[in-house]
Amino acid sequence: MDQSDDLEEYLRGDTALSRRYRRESSPAPPHVLDRRVLRLSRQAQRTTQRLSPCLQPLAFAACVLLSVALVLAMVFGPQAAKRMDDNAPRLVRVAARTDVTPNVSLNRRAPLYGSDLPRTRPARVWLADIAALRRAGRNDEADAEYRRFRSAYPGYVEIGGTDHTSGALVIRP
Amino acid sequence: MLGAMESLDEDAKLMVRYRDGDTDAFSTLYAHHKGPLYRYLLRQVRNAGAAADLFQEVWSRLIATRARYEARAKFATFLFHIAHNCTMDFFRRDLMMRRADRPDGADAQSMEPEVPEHQRPDGLAEFAEQQSALLAALGALPREQRETFLLHEETGLTIEEIARVTDVGVETVKSRLRYAIRKLKKSMLATQIPGTQPRAARSDLKDTLVNGSV
Repeated sequence: MDQSDDLEEYLRGDTALSRRYRRESSPAPPHVLDRRVLRLSRQAQRTTQRLSPCLQPLAFAACVLLSVALVLAMVFGPQAAKRMDDNAPRLVRVAARTDVTPNVSLNRRAPLYGSDLPRTRPARVWLADIAALRRAGRNDEADAEYRRFRSAYPGYVEIGGTDHTSGALVIRP
Repeated sequence: MLGAMESLDEDAKLMVRYRDGDTDAFSTLYAHHKGPLYRYLLRQVRNAGAAADLFQEVWSRLIATRARYEARAKFATFLFHIAHNCTMDFFRRDLMMRRADRPDGADAQSMEPEVPEHQRPDGLAEFAEQQSALLAALGALPREQRETFLLHEETGLTIEEIARVTDVGVETVKSRLRYAIRKLKKSMLATQIPGTQPRAARSDLKDTLVNGSV
């Protein structure tokens, strides 16, 4: 009870304790500090005044605009398009190499889809020519012709498995 | 808006003027508050060099945040809230430095947690020799009680305003202030008893600090 009375009396002000504290405690900051703080306040105002308040929204808008332009340039710019062009064939080449058979020469470019040789003759006619070469005993030429035929018609299947040669090469499904 | 401006204290109006570019308003504001702020910091950290550094830091923070200032309360609550935060940072830094300097890795719990080097009993007794018994007793108060007393004496802030500045409840502020007044009154009575000299009171203070009880 006494304690709360003490507090109330003290809060009313002008107690002996307050008077004594004020009498005994009156240090002030050194003048050098005064000068430093006042200089700081003036410097801060000068820095702010350099960028007028009416220019601040403009500066903000310019920053936003530049950022958006930069992002758009990175996403849709010529460099991005070039990169996309580069990517597509690279992927196709990887896919094509998985189909390369051991017989294909490394110096020769592998066909991307099916054959890159022109189909100069219908398959049946071409096979008939090969058979004629074999019958004539020109087996080397017949083999080379057959390889060319296979390149042109890699998936060709002759139903019935007709023998077009004298026995060296037989076309089977 | 005009009504709100009229209800503001003069210092808050000066701060608004400074925020809007009036440097002279800051000079007036500074003249009003430099003494109370310096004494608050000096009595809190009890080291003139540290007090000067903190004094400059408080004003620098105020200047840096002036654009965000809104006059919602008494200006002194704004200024001394910054000062309170600066002193808290100071005590934290000081505590960390003391922990880092301790070579034997002694148990942190065994040390008094928040008393800077210059406030340890030896340093405190030396400091006390240079000042009155009242100020020595003020320096011997726990930091929170001392701060509450200083805020009331130096700024005239109410209990509610002190609670806002120090981020604690009103009842906590009352309790701190009550203890502070009781101890300070006791020190005043000791100096008034015939035959009891202030020097003797200081010796008592040194004993109580060394023994760890007030």
